Amino acid sequence: MESNLAAGLAIGIGTIGPGLGLGIAVSRAMEAIGRNPEAAGAIFTPYIIGLALTEALGIYALVIGLLLMFI
Amino acid sequence: MPEEEAGGESLIHVAISAEEVFQIGPLVVTNSMIGALLASAILLLATWYISRRGSALIPGRLQGVIELPIELLAGIISASTSRWRSYAALILCFFLMILVANWIGLLPGVGTVGINHVEEGHEVLVPIVRPASADLNFTLGLAIISVVMFIYWGIRAHGVGGYLRELMGEPLYLAPLIFPINVISELSRLISLSMRLFGNVFAGEVLLATMLALTTFAAFVYPLALFIPGLFVGLEILFGFVQALVFALLSLTYISTAIAEHHEPGDASDHGETDTAHSSHPPAAEAATT
Repeated sequence: MESNLAAGLAIGIGTIGPGLGLGIAVSRAMEAIGRNPEAAGAIFTPYIIGLALTEALGIYALVIGLLLMFI
Repeated sequence: MPEEEAGGESLIHVAISAEEVFQIGPLVVTNSMIGALLASAILLLATWYISRRGSALIPGRLQGVIELPIELLAGIISASTSRWRSYAALILCFFLMILVANWIGLLPGVGTVGINHVEEGHEVLVPIVRPASADLNFTLGLAIISVVMFIYWGIRAHGVGGYLRELMGEPLYLAPLIFPINVISELSRLISLSMRLFGNVFAGEVLLATMLALTTFAAFVYPLALFIPGLFVGLEILFGFVQALVFALLSLTYISTAIAEHHEPGDASDHGETDTAHSSHPPAAEAATT
């Protein structure tokens, strides 16, 4: 019972930070592409890498939630 | 713990570690091992088929489709470092293996067709095939390869002393502070690479199972309810591709950082793709035929 609550808190609170971070990253990338549409290719690779690194933090929270619920 | 409890019976069965399907002597064969073998078999078949046909200069449709991700990745690789050929094989191998392993989880029958095992007193369905990247062993193995290779290439480029000197940071008097941070951040790439891929694919599998379980009963009455799991299958197609791309790109970034020459202001290290869109055809053709 407590592990359900802990898992819910883990995934709920744990994705606040990555969600904010991803929103900021994507908005800045969109802004940069909007200013300079030809730089879309140059922005793409660091953008994907930044997305992956930020999203990984949310995935860590998810894995802890899964561990709490199923192990 | 159970999903949608109705009288103590859970609708889906979630297993983080892969379940054993059968045993060959002392070797336990799990369903994700079968998935990994299936992914390897598909890749080997595709390679054999392409090598048999040869690559025409004006590609047909199938060759064009296969060259799409290879061209995308080769463009990024060739723009990143100047000596891309040494690393292109490993990066492309990561990308293709993880891509096929992720997408196998979407085939009909994977995760659903299985045998009944008796576990903890009640019967659970153990699927015969499970996507390989939904198993932490597989992703950890790939992450170990990636970390060992980028450390090896870093040491080969700078020497052991040079590589450690790079880890100590720029002002040498800050080395006792920066060196542990750099070492831990390089070793934590192992955990982050494996956990990212595992978490994404495993969560996708659980999500698909949940959506199917929730809409199955509605689908008997209203078949269009199966549109909802269809949406999530599309989401998983996209995420499988993105995660494979991310793993390969991150490995490439780590390798590029490890072999990078000493920092100089105004160093020309652009990751631009705008001018490699034209020059990526030779790398793609060569990477496909070597």
